Amino acid sequence: MSTSPVPIDTDTSAGPPAGGPAVQAIGLVKTFGPIRAVDDVSFALDPGRIYGLLGPNGSGKTTLIRLLMGMARASAGRAEVLGVAMPSRPNLSRIGYMTQSDGIYSALTVAENTAFFAAAYGVRDGSAVADALAIVDLGDRRDSPAGTLSGGLRRRLSLACALVHRPAVLFLDEPTVGVDPLLRMQFWAHFRALAQAGTTIVVSSHVMDEADRCDELLFVRSGKVIARGNGQELRLRAGTDDLEQAFLQFGGDVAVTR
Amino acid sequence: MSLRRVVALFRRVVLEIRRDRPSLALLFVAPILITGLVAFILREGQTPTVQVAIVNEAGPPGAPLVAILTRSLEEQGASVSSAVNEPSARQMISAGTATIAIVLPANLGTGAGPTITLVTNGLDPSSDAGQLGFLQKMVLGVIASAGGTHLPTIVHATLYGSPTVDPVATFAPAILGFFAYFFVYILTGVSFLRERTGGTLERLMATPVARGEIVLGYTLGFGLFATIQVGVLMLWALGALHVPAIGPLAGFTIGLGITVAGSPLIAFLVVVLLAVGAVSLGIFLSTFARTELQIIQFIPIVLAPQFLLSGVLFPVSGLPAVLQPLVHVMPLAYAVDGLRQVFVRGADLGVGALQADVAILALIAVFFGGIATLTIRREVA
Repeated sequence: MSTSPVPIDTDTSAGPPAGGPAVQAIGLVKTFGPIRAVDDVSFALDPGRIYGLLGPNGSGKTTLIRLLMGMARASAGRAEVLGVAMPSRPNLSRIGYMTQSDGIYSALTVAENTAFFAAAYGVRDGSAVADALAIVDLGDRRDSPAGTLSGGLRRRLSLACALVHRPAVLFLDEPTVGVDPLLRMQFWAHFRALAQAGTTIVVSSHVMDEADRCDELLFVRSGKVIARGNGQELRLRAGTDDLEQAFLQFGGDVAVTR
Repeated sequence: MSLRRVVALFRRVVLEIRRDRPSLALLFVAPILITGLVAFILREGQTPTVQVAIVNEAGPPGAPLVAILTRSLEEQGASVSSAVNEPSARQMISAGTATIAIVLPANLGTGAGPTITLVTNGLDPSSDAGQLGFLQKMVLGVIASAGGTHLPTIVHATLYGSPTVDPVATFAPAILGFFAYFFVYILTGVSFLRERTGGTLERLMATPVARGEIVLGYTLGFGLFATIQVGVLMLWALGALHVPAIGPLAGFTIGLGITVAGSPLIAFLVVVLLAVGAVSLGIFLSTFARTELQIIQFIPIVLAPQFLLSGVLFPVSGLPAVLQPLVHVMPLAYAVDGLRQVFVRGADLGVGALQADVAILALIAVFFGGIATLTIRREVA
């Protein structure tokens, strides 16, 4: 089927230009009526690193991710992933996306859910499902209906569905919400392993204590990126040893007294 | 029992319903719409124009009767034409230039009680019955007032089916079509709504899957179940399994035992085409629903009018003139007509009327498929 009105860039065989950014935002703007959900955002993210999009609820993190994936049409500016302008339907086969809601089919089993998304991504490799389930430690639950899983296991399945096609770029929208501390630790171990294998990971979160697990942080507030750097740098620049304080300071909400 | 708590619950219920505008509107709109439509159809339903073809096989002895009949019929607003013989009159009915034929026999006026034949189309017994009653009364009245001593015997013949056709045979295909449409719509609508609200559509849109592929996949999936449903219903409608009496239990029959004049496979094709259109309708309408309840709420607005206007209960030709154009946009109307063509008339795909029904149903399915495709990414503004 080629009925999509989305312009399709058929040339996805070429990876990112050597040394080029994995993800790039160039003057991205998204307005909903009078609201500027994403307000002139530009950045470039390097391959194989974990980036944290940090900001309060409603700051525009999800909209920003959707713009980068080409799932929403930018009001201005453009997004590129792996050197390809988004939206590009074929390019989506190299991108993984874990949504805030689990987005899995309750009536299907763990393996069936994963296999369905594998097929949707065009994966032909028969071992992909087993590999993905092994990564999230769901191998022994492969025949359980997804509807019977606990919240934490559902999050794991959701992650398996997002990486079953071995994407080069992985967008994770609040992946650890509602996840217990042990599973959260396991998740971050998975993310780190994936990044070491070359995957670029963009994680959104409003939990500041996850920030230090990222290689670099982007503070998002009112649709703008108000600061960028690793946790250490940001604390230093804000003159505080608390990231939450740093965030508030960059947003101009409080003047931090030294 | 605390009055405060009861009042708190009462207030909460009222608040919730008040804010659910679609439910609230439906509380009033649906019954008014449906009862209004039914009342309008019953009150303003028109007697379809009777177009009579008179065949005079008696020659000159029949001429005076033809003249009186013609005058009386025209006085009553019927249009009258003549045909040379019964086959050509049947041709006129088949072509739609006549709705009923009166055949005056060769032995008219020879003294013996003549047998006058009234020929109707037979596809829609309920509309035939009205015309028959009208003509029977008139023919008898005219002959009696002309001083005829021998009152004629009036027999009824039909182009398709038989005058004594099982009423179930014309009713069952319509119901068959309606249920296929109804359930496919509900299943698809609810299923797609879950896809939208459960976040799986969002996720699916993040894969290289094209929107057309989603509509096609849904159509195939629900089409399969519609096909099985229709298959089982057809077996039920056509089958007649006689269970003999066992001891004190009386014998009975399983199945409606309808005889289908045409090919059940073509009837099958018609219903499947209808069901495919219902899949896309379900996807399309799920855009406007936020809850599964709201999918159900579309029934009185989208499905009930089709039930009333597609000839399932009331003959299409008897509907008020204002509603006639609406009939032409009801997918169900084409399916009901097509199914009757197959069941009663025994039409095959060579028959123009059936070809038109099938073509339009296919067109409707493609059209709604296109619309459904366009609505899928809509929320992803």
